[in-house]
Amino acid sequence: MYRYLIRRVLSAIPLLFGLLTITFFIIRLAPGDPVSLYVQGDVDPHYAEDLRAALGLSDPLPLQYVKWLKGTLTGELGVSFSKNAEVADILLETLPNTLLLTTFALLFNFVLGIGLGIITALKRGSGIDHTVNITSLFVYSMPEFWLGLMLILGVSLQLGVLPASGMHSPLAKYLSFPEYVWDVAQHMVLPVFVLGVASAAATGRYMRGSLLEVINQDYIRTARAKGLSEVLVIGKHAMRNAMIPIITLLGLSLPFLLGGAVIVETVFAWPGMGKLTIDAIFSRDYPLIIACTMVSGVMVISGNLVADLLYALVDPRIRYD
Amino acid sequence: MSPRYLFVALLCCGLLVSCGKKSGDKDPMSETAVVALSGDADNLNPVVSSSSTAGDIQGNIYPTMFDVSFNLREGKLEFEPSLVRAWEFTNGGKDVILYIRPDVRWEDGILVTPLDIKFSYELYGDPEVASPRRSYLESMIHTDGAFDVDKSIEILNDTTMVFHFTRQYPLQLFHLNLSPIPRHVYRNADRRTLRANPANERPVGAGPFKLEEWTRQQQIVLTRNPTSTLPYPAKLERVIFRVISEPTTRLTELKKGDIDLMQPIYPEDVADLQETSPDIKLVTLPPRSYEYIGWMNIDNDEWHASGKKTLKPHPLFGDRRVRQALTYAINRKAILEDQLGPYGELAVTDFSPIFRWAIQHDLIPYPYAPDRARQLLRSAGWSDSDGDGLLDKGGKSFEFTLYYNVGNKRREYVATMVQENLKQIGIKVNLQSVEPVVLYKNIEEKKYDAFIAGFSVGLAIDPADRWGEITSPFNTVAFENRRVAELLKLGLHVPTERDAGPFWKEIQSILHQEQPCTFLYWVKDIVAVNRRLKGANPNILGVTDHMWDWKIGDPKSAITY
Repeated sequence: MYRYLIRRVLSAIPLLFGLLTITFFIIRLAPGDPVSLYVQGDVDPHYAEDLRAALGLSDPLPLQYVKWLKGTLTGELGVSFSKNAEVADILLETLPNTLLLTTFALLFNFVLGIGLGIITALKRGSGIDHTVNITSLFVYSMPEFWLGLMLILGVSLQLGVLPASGMHSPLAKYLSFPEYVWDVAQHMVLPVFVLGVASAAATGRYMRGSLLEVINQDYIRTARAKGLSEVLVIGKHAMRNAMIPIITLLGLSLPFLLGGAVIVETVFAWPGMGKLTIDAIFSRDYPLIIACTMVSGVMVISGNLVADLLYALVDPRIRYD
Repeated sequence: MSPRYLFVALLCCGLLVSCGKKSGDKDPMSETAVVALSGDADNLNPVVSSSSTAGDIQGNIYPTMFDVSFNLREGKLEFEPSLVRAWEFTNGGKDVILYIRPDVRWEDGILVTPLDIKFSYELYGDPEVASPRRSYLESMIHTDGAFDVDKSIEILNDTTMVFHFTRQYPLQLFHLNLSPIPRHVYRNADRRTLRANPANERPVGAGPFKLEEWTRQQQIVLTRNPTSTLPYPAKLERVIFRVISEPTTRLTELKKGDIDLMQPIYPEDVADLQETSPDIKLVTLPPRSYEYIGWMNIDNDEWHASGKKTLKPHPLFGDRRVRQALTYAINRKAILEDQLGPYGELAVTDFSPIFRWAIQHDLIPYPYAPDRARQLLRSAGWSDSDGDGLLDKGGKSFEFTLYYNVGNKRREYVATMVQENLKQIGIKVNLQSVEPVVLYKNIEEKKYDAFIAGFSVGLAIDPADRWGEITSPFNTVAFENRRVAELLKLGLHVPTERDAGPFWKEIQSILHQEQPCTFLYWVKDIVAVNRRLKGANPNILGVTDHMWDWKIGDPKSAITY
């Protein structure tokens, strides 16, 4: 098991390195220039040249690559062009915010999705089943930004019950710790809901299908025949097999949540990685784009690894020795 | 965690919160104003920052050399003492003696001296630092092409210094208004990496506010600087700048009363705001930015191929009559009324209406006159000889691509209207939206034949970049005119601003005649202010101008602007 883990982690390194190298060249070869956005009406027109030199962009591309490579290998992520700060510091500031949001969204997604999946599978063909199915389809096809804006207008503006934006109140630092937690929790409700609800609809559909497949199998009939309670039959025997595809989904959801956070973070002014990545791309902030790609890459790779490891946990037939 | 446990956990938090509240606690928000921003500051060091957000904030943290205001009636900048308590021009206006206040201290207690100012100007002028304001020093003394700080700035004593210029010109005081930064903090800083110096995140200023907290992409919190003497500590305890990039979210926070000041408000939101939010007052600012359709004046393919040497007229837009015809054929008034209504003004040239004294009032805006356009095109040799509905000349149809930035609804509308209007006179326009960064780069490099863009003008007239050298990135349409070049030289070398009036007026007449581009309209920004915020004076200099006089009061009481 440990050998497998080490092998997987080691094989991820060249993968990540390849990804970053490709990103390095793609963004530099893409049209646009990081300094264009700064050249505005009342700014020195020759500023662009000064700035290009200061940012090391007037060096030939291979030299830029060598410099970048040297920096990356020594753990230097560089300085962001648009935010004028160490990229590592920016990531340290924003990554926890995104992880807070996405972890709760992931929890919400799976708790709600699995719950709904079980109910609809057990009550197949009933009114509840139909209602949940139609609602799921409706929620799943709703664009996130639209749902977000509607909730802001409805819940926050009209009802006035939850904050519309930000991660905490402007003066949250003057609150006591429990007040602060409550403040952040209130700010999280709407973004977590928007980020998690569409995926929960999908998870619910997967869960329903998977459970239905399992409960029609012979061993479930045997379990029932030997007089086990329904809770044990479903909870212990059926769920263990029905959860396998859901676990794949869980692993694959990690990077999805990070990507999905772009829109939610923008709508709710949540200071996280998604918004950071988009801003970096639009301002051609090369060091920051590469760092964001690295974070996404690590999330994808580790998501897959987590999914593979969880397989072994739920399915005794799978061994990684 | 099951939903039940989550609920219980949240309930516990709620209970703890209610227990934690002490009765009689003063709400810190009662002494706090909140400003909404669409983007974060790039930097809080005035030498290297370039974002408008930074501009709004820095002026309240760092010392300002002069207290500047813009006299709208006269249309000019006015300078009052600030860190500089008095000044005088000598040596025929080429030298400016500044008398610095002896009692101004940085936040850390150290005196602000002429050494700080000289050091700061040295940084502004160093190409390694790459300050966006390096051109302010262009008319000071240079040696071998580089800014010579020792020859330009002479310190006479602890409170007196002299700036030496190569000539007298109207913008001298404006160029002396760069904020100094503390020498003792930055003395050993590496110039090349100044923009990322960690000290920029903990600015040491001397203004009425100081930085309390800067959480990236979230908020910038300023608090009263009790030791400030420039001009005095802020009346308000605290101002928070919140970053909310999504316009609808920003507007919701404004309507909820969680935001006291916000810019921009879009014209389409005005009616709703006026109807639903009586506590919000809307202030319209005089126009500083305009939008235009650029027609490439020179054959840019040939120009690029020849290494920027060959100057030939553009095959479509090189002829003045064609450019005039295009302006006649575009219904600019209809576009303006549909998109901006009272928050815009038809643009005649790119001289902002705020500079009243310099405006050539005799110019009559080109009306929407498709027949006149057809006539002009015919005289330029364009006619529909093959009967396909499109104008042609020498076997080539009049067809081009119009580029504009994606995601800008107003420009998308303009593009569609232009396509429709020009179709009426037999010109085929293909529309192409482009991502902004790519669009700006290609416009600056003069790669497009036709495009929609905007431009913001400074607070003093300086048309040299826009209509001067053809290689300037701001001369986006590669317009070249000998008389304009002469007038620019004359206008920029007069002793006082007013003396340049006749030259600027003549340039406008030429631009009106030549139509290097079709000037569409000036945009008047709208600022929303919650009536509880007293003393706010959003104006052409910025929404946070004189922020030290802001106070929080009763929204029902009379507001003073």
